[in-house]
Parts: sequence; structure tokens; C-alpha cells
Amino acid sequence: MKGPKIRFEKVLKAYGELKVLEDLDFHVDENEVVAIIGPSGSGKTTVLRVLMTLEGIQGGTIFVGDEPLNVMRKGDRLVPANRAHVRRIRSKIGMVFQSFNLFPHMTALENCIEAPVQTKGLSKSEATAESLELLAMVGLTDKRDHYPSQLSGGQQQRVAIARALAMRPEILLFDEPTSALDPEMVGEVLNVIRDLARSGHYTILLVTHQMGFAREVSDRVCFFDGGVMVEEGAPDDIFGNPQNDRLRHFLSKILEAT
Amino acid sequence: MDWRWDFTFDVVIPRLWEAAGVTVYATVASFLLALVGGLILMLLKTSKNRMVSFAVTEFIELIRATPLLVQIFFLFFLLPEVGITLPPLTSGIIAIALYNSTLCAEVYRAGLQAVPRGQWEAAMALNLSTYRTFRRIIIPQSLPPIVPALGNYLIAIFKETPLLSFVAVGEIMHASKLIGSEYYRFTEAVTIAGVFFLVMSLVSAQLVRLVETYLQRSIQR
Ligand SMILES: Nc1ncnc2c1ncn2[C@@H]1O[C@H](COP(=O)(O)OP(=O)(O)OP(=O)(O)O)[C@@H](O)[C@H]1O
Ligand SMILES: [Mg+2]
Repeated sequence: MKGPKIRFEKVLKAYGELKVLEDLDFHVDENEVVAIIGPSGSGKTTVLRVLMTLEGIQGGTIFVGDEPLNVMRKGDRLVPANRAHVRRIRSKIGMVFQSFNLFPHMTALENCIEAPVQTKGLSKSEATAESLELLAMVGLTDKRDHYPSQLSGGQQQRVAIARALAMRPEILLFDEPTSALDPEMVGEVLNVIRDLARSGHYTILLVTHQMGFAREVSDRVCFFDGGVMVEEGAPDDIFGNPQNDRLRHFLSKILEAT
Repeated sequence: MDWRWDFTFDVVIPRLWEAAGVTVYATVASFLLALVGGLILMLLKTSKNRMVSFAVTEFIELIRATPLLVQIFFLFFLLPEVGITLPPLTSGIIAIALYNSTLCAEVYRAGLQAVPRGQWEAAMALNLSTYRTFRRIIIPQSLPPIVPALGNYLIAIFKETPLLSFVAVGEIMHASKLIGSEYYRFTEAVTIAGVFFLVMSLVSAQLVRLVETYLQRSIQR
């Protein structure tokens, strides 16, 4: 049997004295959709950031496939990963940020083709054709030549999703993709993510505060609190029959708020 | 006031015309050196090596805390002491460039800092190389704040060049003083020098503004 697609082994992430992730063991199977929920400051974003290698870790190992992220094999020894190694693994992962982070000086289409042309060695016309398909998929064909400033938040986030997909990733990370959006735009972005989740082509990690959506699209839900994974399980169990007190408390507070 | 046009045209303008060339040369050379020097200072200041970044930070403080004229004198008299003999124009250009490179370094730093962290992270997540990230993502976004500031330093440098007259560089101020003491007439030479600075400053300010508008239009937000 194949091993998991993503595996955290005793991962420690600390900012100085503050331990943000502590001895975290966590895995995601190939093409599994996992939702991460938890209170603010519990380390959800950090899980995605260390996986995307935006941040280093202070202990433990992260595996993508069967390759460790922070070390590599040299002969029969393990040495710290070099840049090429990190970049090769990073190329399998796409990330969608809470604040979109589109490049403001490029049009929607230019945002999408920039990285494939520079890093995947695609010709500009190949990348353009592929990106146009992706923009069509997120329903933005007519916005291809618009700059981010000319797009609504929901449209920007959909461009950001197309941009991530243009890199042909195997793993997709979403960090609260709808938190920065006006309520009327949440739906259009969730629709796109739902399609991606259902396609079965991607291993997806989704950090979200939208409990209904997490329950609907995910195969598994992980509840984080204080840098540890407190409880995980099938969505119906997590939401219908939570075991841990902290999870129950968290869910009741969310229910109150909505 | 007694203004003599024949004197103006026969003596003042030809001699100042030559000197104006020195002024423009000193300005452009100092500016270009300051642009490069500023980049080097900024890179050294943000160096991971603590010693280097500390030394550069202190050096910048030192330059900022002393008047440019003092630095011009310092280089002019000090360099020969250590066996480096340069023409006054060259040592003067170095002094002006050094002084302004500390200001340029700050402009670069502020311009880069104005680019949100999310831009770096998006570039990293898209696997762009450091070079591509700078070239395609960061620099285009930091130019709109950087270019006008640099333009203002160009004009400032231009107005600093008369300081070189203190070390006998034949720039326009020096030339008009010489004319004055040769003919015992200062009015024409000093006035023409002033008009030269006024016109050049206004023209370059306008140019800077043009570039600024062009950048703003080409780099939409
Ligand atoms: N660069 C940093 N320096 C210091 N502390 C940080 C840094 N980034 C995050 N933290 C801390 O790490 C902890 C976890 O942060 P993280 O962003 O992962 O939380 P989160 O679960 O995503 O929260 P939220 O729901 O508010 O997004 C928080 O206590 C935060 O203050
Ligand atoms: Mg977060």
C-alpha cells in the first residue's frame, strides 16, 4: 500500500520561546480532502506555511510523498536539504492565501502564466492556453486582462486559485480562502473549491471557519488547539459527535456566533 | 543696477558655459555613483553578517551626521595624506556620491519594505527563484516610490555641486567667482549662474514628474 501524501512527524515550530506547533504528528492521504478547524492562534496557518516551506521548522520531519522536506539523501547519509531539493518538492504544492496576494502589476492572465513560464519551462503560448482554460474553469474568461484592482475580492480569489492550479500541483493548500471576502462573494469561491475537492485529482488541506462547508467537502476534519491536533475524524463524527471538551466548547461558540 | 550686456555675452556666458559642463558632469557622475553605492550600502546593511551590517550602519550614521562640505574638505586634504592624489573634481564627486549613497540606500530600503510580505510569499509558493522574484515581482512594485525620491536626490545633488568651488573645482559657481574677481564685476556672472540653476532645476523637476506619471500608469494597482 502507498504511504500518505503528506506526513508530519513530531514537528516542532517555535518563534523564539513560543512553541506554535509541538510534536505534531499528522498525515494526509493521496487525494484526500482534509479540513483544519480550530480557534484563532491554534497553529492552523502555521501547518500550511511550514508545509509550503514559507517557514522552517525547529524539530521533526515533514514528508511529501516519501521524501522529507528539510533533509535529503546524499549517498546513504541524510544532509540538510539544498535549495533545489526544496524547490522540487515545493513545485508539487500550490497555496491559496487568505489575502489573495495577487501581483498587482499584472493582469489576471499574467498572474497565472508568470510562474509556469519561469519555472516549468512552458512556452508563453502553452502557458497562456492552459491558464485560459483555468480562468474559464473559475468563470473569469472575460476578466483575463483585468488588473487585480479592477476585480472584486471573490474574483481575485478565483484568479489566485487559477494561478495556483497553473503550476499543476498535486497538493492544494487553502488558508481561510473566504475570510477576507464580503459575504455575498463567499459562495462563488466555495463553489470552485468544492469542484476541486470533488474532482478527486488533488490532495487538499483546507483551513476554514466555515463549518458547514468543511463538513460538506472534507473526507476528514482535524481540530487544532494550542499547536496540537486535539481530535480528528470523519466530518459527521467531529460535528455530530465531538468527543473532546475543547472541541465541543469550540463548536458551541461557533454555533452561537452564527 | 548696472548691467552690461556686452560683458555678459563676450565674457560671462562663454566662460560659464564651459563651467556649466563641469557642473552637469559632476552632477551626473555623482548621481550614478550614488545609485550604485546606495545599492551596495543597502545590501551590506541587510547582510546576515552582524559585523558587516553593524559597520555599515555606523558608517551611514557618520556620513549623515556631518556636513557634506566637511566631507569634501576631508577627502580633498586626507586622500593625498594617504598617498592617493586625485584631481579635486574626482575627490569632490566621490564625496558627493558617498553622501548621497547613504540617502539612496534608505530610499531603496523603504521602497522594498513598501512591498507587502504576501507578495514575497506568493512568489515563493509559486516557486519563483530569488532573482525572478526581485526582477518580476518586487522591483516593479517598489519603483513607483523609489523613482521620484531618486529624482529629487538628482536635483539635490545638482544644487550641492557649488560646494565643489571650495576646493577650486571649475564648476559654475567657481567660474563666476573668478570672473568677478578678475573684472571686479559680480552682478552678471552670479545672476547667470543663478538662472542656470533655476532653469535646470525646474526642467529636471518636470522630467522627474513625467517619469513618475509614466510609472504610475504602467504599474497599475
Ligand atoms: N511570525 C511570527 N512571529 C511570532 N509569532 C507568530 C508568527 N506567526 C504566527 N505566530 C504565532 O503563532 C501562533 C499560531 O499562529 P497561526 O497563524 O498558525 O494561527 P491560526 O490558527 O492560523 O489562527 P487564525 O485563525 O487567527 O488565522 C499564534 O499564537 C501567533 O501569534
Ligand atoms: Mg490563520
